[in-house]
Amino acid sequence: MKRCVAVLVLWAGVVLVRAEILIEDPWVRAVPPSSSATAAFMKVTNTDGGNVTLVEARADIAKDVRPMATTKKQIDGHEVSGMEFVDSFAIAAGKSRILEPGGDHIMLMKLSSVPAAGTSVKLTLVFDGAKGRREIKVEAPVR
Amino acid sequence: MKKLTQTRLLLVAACLVIVLPAAFVGFTVSKKTESPWFGKYDANAQEAYDFELQAAGGETLRLSDLRGKIVLLNFGFTNCPSICPAVLANLAAVYRKLTPADRDNVRVLFVTLDPARDTAEKLGEYVPFFEASFVGLTGDAAKIAAIAKAYGVFYQKAPSDSNDPETYMIDHSTETFVIDSSGKLRMVFRLDQLPESDRVVADIHRIRDLR
Repeated sequence: MKRCVAVLVLWAGVVLVRAEILIEDPWVRAVPPSSSATAAFMKVTNTDGGNVTLVEARADIAKDVRPMATTKKQIDGHEVSGMEFVDSFAIAAGKSRILEPGGDHIMLMKLSSVPAAGTSVKLTLVFDGAKGRREIKVEAPVR
Repeated sequence: MKKLTQTRLLLVAACLVIVLPAAFVGFTVSKKTESPWFGKYDANAQEAYDFELQAAGGETLRLSDLRGKIVLLNFGFTNCPSICPAVLANLAAVYRKLTPADRDNVRVLFVTLDPARDTAEKLGEYVPFFEASFVGLTGDAAKIAAIAKAYGVFYQKAPSDSNDPETYMIDHSTETFVIDSSGKLRMVFRLDQLPESDRVVADIHRIRDLR
């Protein structure tokens, strides 16, 4: 039965790892060839039973990969968007965290090659939680 | 039986007295608050601040030379990893939903807030990647600052935690401005509105049809 569920979930395009942390719809933004950075997005769902934290990310095409949050600041009374590096993304037990354009994302910097639309980027996501540290590998299509 | 009929009559009368006026009030209130516009529309729009900036290939572009066209104007920088590409990708989706005739009458301009790093040539590579007709513009820092101020665009360098001084970010406003064919600053879209491309297109159609 468990295998059946896993097959169904995988068939639906969802990467299932130990039925604890789900990475759904990972993708990387296609950017112009002259770009030095791009960003990865996805939905992370934590069914681990405890809080987990994304503490590290790696990509096959970038030397520097870090979680980044979009900030809203007030400058002279106007709302201004910005971004700042964060150490980690926490995902509370039973919750999802959506990394999406204009919001939280994983920034891919110092690109060894700028990925073209239609290709994919290999991402390794490292999570920390009550059950220890684990790595999840996903292929993120570039679009 | 007679008593029941009386009760029914009372109920009907109550409906007529209470419900109908309430519905009417609700209708007029909703009529007052419902705007046909999706973006923030300015009925008393003033002339958009004019500027002349450099595009790729040694070309200059003056905003007022685009009279007769609808201009979608956005500000950002090419090292922006998330927000600016999202804005340009959303504007490209909007542009592709326009008919060929409407596309001829719409220009999308992206003005850099990072003239130190964004040369006209770099913008010329970056901006048309999202849609071939989109134009990236730069100029000297004082000119960019004056244009940003005129449109109420706020920006500042954000320190990076890297030791490399070239990796700084820029915090900035993210609105997209719509200038109508008579050169008036007619509408502003917020960042979060742009993904709703059908509604943005509907506003562009209405602006096109303003007389």
